Amino acid sequence: MNVVVCVKQIPDPAVPGELTSDNRLKRDGAKAILDESDSYGVEMALQLVDKAGSGEVILVSMAPNGEVSGLRQALAMGAARAILISDDALAGADALTTSKVIAKAVERAGGVDLVLAATESSDGYTGTVPAQVAELLGWPSLTFAKHVEIADGKVTIQRQTENGYDVVAASLPAVVSVTAGVVEPRYPSFKGIMAAKSKPLDQVTAADLGLNSISAGQSIVSVDAAPARQAGEKVEDDGTAFERIVTYLEELKVI
Amino acid sequence: MYEWSEEHKMIRDAVRQFIEAEVRPLRDELEFGDTPPYDVIRSFYRTFGMDQMARDSFSRRIKRDKEVEAGTAAPLEGREAAGNNAGMTLIPIIELCRCSPGLVTAMGVSTGLGAGTIMSRGTVRQKERWALDLLTFEKVGAWAITEPDSGSDAFGRMQSTARRDGDEYLLNGSKTFITNGPYADTTVFICKLDEGNPPSERKILSFVLDKGMDGFEQTKPMRKMGMHSSPTGMLFLSDVRVGKDRLLGETEDVPYREGAKQAFSIERVGVAAMALGIVDRCLELSIAYAKECVRFGKPIGEHQLIQDKLARMEMARFNLENMVFRSIEKAAVGVGLELAEASVMKLYSARAAMEVALEAVQLHGGNGYMAEYEVEQLARDAKVLQIYAGTDEIQISQIARSLLS
Repeated sequence: MNVVVCVKQIPDPAVPGELTSDNRLKRDGAKAILDESDSYGVEMALQLVDKAGSGEVILVSMAPNGEVSGLRQALAMGAARAILISDDALAGADALTTSKVIAKAVERAGGVDLVLAATESSDGYTGTVPAQVAELLGWPSLTFAKHVEIADGKVTIQRQTENGYDVVAASLPAVVSVTAGVVEPRYPSFKGIMAAKSKPLDQVTAADLGLNSISAGQSIVSVDAAPARQAGEKVEDDGTAFERIVTYLEELKVI
Repeated sequence: MYEWSEEHKMIRDAVRQFIEAEVRPLRDELEFGDTPPYDVIRSFYRTFGMDQMARDSFSRRIKRDKEVEAGTAAPLEGREAAGNNAGMTLIPIIELCRCSPGLVTAMGVSTGLGAGTIMSRGTVRQKERWALDLLTFEKVGAWAITEPDSGSDAFGRMQSTARRDGDEYLLNGSKTFITNGPYADTTVFICKLDEGNPPSERKILSFVLDKGMDGFEQTKPMRKMGMHSSPTGMLFLSDVRVGKDRLLGETEDVPYREGAKQAFSIERVGVAAMALGIVDRCLELSIAYAKECVRFGKPIGEHQLIQDKLARMEMARFNLENMVFRSIEKAAVGVGLELAEASVMKLYSARAAMEVALEAVQLHGGNGYMAEYEVEQLARDAKVLQIYAGTDEIQISQIARSLLS
């Protein structure tokens, strides 16, 4: 059972970000970390491979400047190896371009039974990559899994819905996006941390994956600050303030 | 080495994340209640695979010991013996001390002094019987040397005795200030062999005791100024009958004092790491408070007397970190610390931790005196660093003796 986990190395949200002249996030010298939402997929993959009794967890990540900090975190958790696509031509890539690259990397990994990804990244938030990767690979796409089981060449998930969950099944290989909370990610062991540096890391360009004419596919025209929060309405209580509160809640359709 | 490696930083971040999620929420219970620290420490060991690492390392060590006994291998020396993981040992100490230094005391005494003594002085059979469970923290260990009337003059005024009785020994005596004493499953008891000779001429022996042995009483935890997450107790022995299998080394002819010096050096490096954790946290809290607390129209960090405190704290942190780096470097090349060098580190570290913690309380004003603000706890905890593992005064005399010899 070989499982690929798509992991994104994102700028540390604790560090204030800066923009480049073309409105993209400045990455030079900024510390990258493993997107927390991907740690659930890594843990899920480790548990599935462990349960299967054979196979390995392979990480796939696309990041500028040969960034490996976040990958090391996932390797320390127990993943066997990683494929890193780092290419200046991919700077600012849109979701579809990213998906094309990841799909090719999954093919490069070889013998993959399952691809896991977070439902969306914590920086881009498009939430479209997992389904696009599935389409490009021609594999079934199962999304918003809060529980994943593998048996008899099939993957069965509990798909989170507003009211509960749907049970969805598909044949393998497949692409599954997992929600936060699908499993509790482990802390990397000290031994895992010390071993992470020596695990195989296959760094490639888009051309190495056979993608010779690829571009970002989008440009960011402008970035505006989020509007400041509007001041709320102040109600002086003359003994009838509760009426205003009731009306307000009714307007919101809360009561 | 002038900064932590990438691996060290990953270990630090992971440990810090664990402490924030799993240990800090229990701080009130550990510091102001009577909850023993052992479940937290065991969880820490399991989470980071420290129990398995201890098991693997123990297997290698025992295999080597057996080869040495059979004459097919030489004892490990220098770099091989020291291993290359000093940073991996010291980072958890630093990080735990940023929250609850008592946890480190409880952990260090069990694995460092308890298991450490058995590993350095015991036979293979004794190591297998007692040390492994302490090294993995499945069991809790204590190391009992101090007596109600001995303190720094531990060997000179030691009154605990072992008397031969046929093939066995009868142990008697009282011990106090014993870390983990109330809960220890395994206790290393240090005493003098009473052959009717004057106390100053008696051999020093150490025995391993199990909880619940006839005549062996472990008191409930004593109330103390700080380190509340580390239970401290008294031990009373009345004619505790033991066989030679419990005498460490299974011989009366092991020179004790030399072995003890090595243990002291290791312990003193540990204190430097503890001090670094306390100072680092005090500084972090003080910087945050200096920025947010406004007095006389500006944040107190803009007042020069506060800046002086912060600068002195940073000097201490910087020096402590360099001392820790030095000990990691020396361990990596297999050069141990001389006892006097370890004393220099211990003396500086303990004083720095105490000064910084008190200044952090001062900087926080009335809030700093309140239990809600962590610096109050860290200041109480820091004091013992000047007392245990050799008082400041003992460190000074050892440094001076080395300089003047």
